[in-house]
Amino acid sequence: MSIIIKDLDKKYGQETIFEDFNLTFEKNKITGILGPSGAGKTTLLNLCSGLEQPDSGMIEGINPQAISYIFQEPRLLPWRTVRENLRFVFNEKAIKKPGSHEGDIDAMLELVGLATVGDYYPQELSGGMRQRVAIARAFLYPSELLLMDEPFSSLDCSLKNRLIEDFSKIWEQDKRTVVFVSHNEDEIRRLAHVILTFSDKPVRILQKEILK
Amino acid sequence: MKISTFLENKRSKTTKKIIGKTGVALFWVLLWGLAARWVNSPLVLPSPLKTLEGVISLAGDFEFFVSIGVTLLRVFGGVFISVALGLVLGLAGGLNKVFFETMNPFVSTIKSLPVVSVIILINLWIASGLVPLVVTFLICFPVTWTNVVQGVRATDKKLLQMAKLYNVEQTKIIRDIYVPSIKPYAVSALMNAIGLGWKVTVTAEVLANALPSIGMNLYYAKIYLETDLLFSWTLVIVICSLVIEKITLQVIGNSQKGGDQCRLS
Repeated sequence: MSIIIKDLDKKYGQETIFEDFNLTFEKNKITGILGPSGAGKTTLLNLCSGLEQPDSGMIEGINPQAISYIFQEPRLLPWRTVRENLRFVFNEKAIKKPGSHEGDIDAMLELVGLATVGDYYPQELSGGMRQRVAIARAFLYPSELLLMDEPFSSLDCSLKNRLIEDFSKIWEQDKRTVVFVSHNEDEIRRLAHVILTFSDKPVRILQKEILK
Repeated sequence: MKISTFLENKRSKTTKKIIGKTGVALFWVLLWGLAARWVNSPLVLPSPLKTLEGVISLAGDFEFFVSIGVTLLRVFGGVFISVALGLVLGLAGGLNKVFFETMNPFVSTIKSLPVVSVIILINLWIASGLVPLVVTFLICFPVTWTNVVQGVRATDKKLLQMAKLYNVEQTKIIRDIYVPSIKPYAVSALMNAIGLGWKVTVTAEVLANALPSIGMNLYYAKIYLETDLLFSWTLVIVICSLVIEKITLQVIGNSQKGGDQCRLS
């Protein structure tokens, strides 16, 4: 099921971010959103994830229990190992057999090239490795929607290229609806199937481009 | 080659540090000795040697160890209860505003009460031997509570947001985010409570006439004008306090592995 945003309104004080805003994210496609800084891209992700509530309007097709999020920074628990960080997002009550997700964790660590550092603490890893753990966590979590807020912006060019390749590889194996926000057109073009360009506030869609 | 040079440098730095500290200690002992010589009255200021002799003579009596043991029990009993309750109630206070607002007037009142008033009041209600323990708890609890509430409030909001987005259960959020976040605050509270606990316990022992105790030995030394013994008992308190502080730091250091060390360093 696609995600449909209907007549969305959102204001911060006197500042209108969204007014009668309508948009559809296609199921199992990567939608990239470009736009000037502070235009409301992150606000849209926060509204989709339930971190913020709209003033009015509706967002349909999202199961709030099935959202994963890759932030600009990895947001890992510094006092837990890589493996423990991945285990952290598993709902232990929902897993019938204790430890049954360990195989999934191993497979994911292998996929993101971190098989040898499962017992390391985040501070023992490079910035790129930490962000890869965050990507692994997002894919390990049984989500239908993956939100990404400038996940590559703090990385250098070669690391960014490698992570984009890794991300594509994982997504090919485990397709989900992805909404990817960035101000970097190159990142968006390399990953997205649909590109939306946002105007400044109040947000309007200036351009919709279907790439793949 | 590089590793051995690094180790040698580290060793020489440690030796220098020990020599430095011993030098400073000797300087103050020497100054004390000179002052005692100048005063020339052991009744007013006994010399370091006389004080040490006093400790040695006290150590020959079994009562000496009983007094230290019972005082230690009171210190640790009071500190343990205050830290344990401070952790649980501080965590609850940090997480729940209503609970914080309910507890805060009680904690603020205890904080503002003079220690002597607390000791005398408590002594009206309970047996002398238990007064130091209860007073230590009452004085140390606000320290732990305040630190833990601060720790909860200083918890990384971004981690909490991540946990909320991934629908992580509340018990896991407390165990894996709040508890490690408040650890440095709890350690600092524990160290403060131990330091404070010693002073409060000995004071309460004197005012409540708690027996057997270090406090009462101090008091008897004072009323019988045995200034050298007064100094000897004070030296015993200082040594015990330093040893306990070092042991606590060592135990805390050993229990922090990997990621935890990063948080506390």
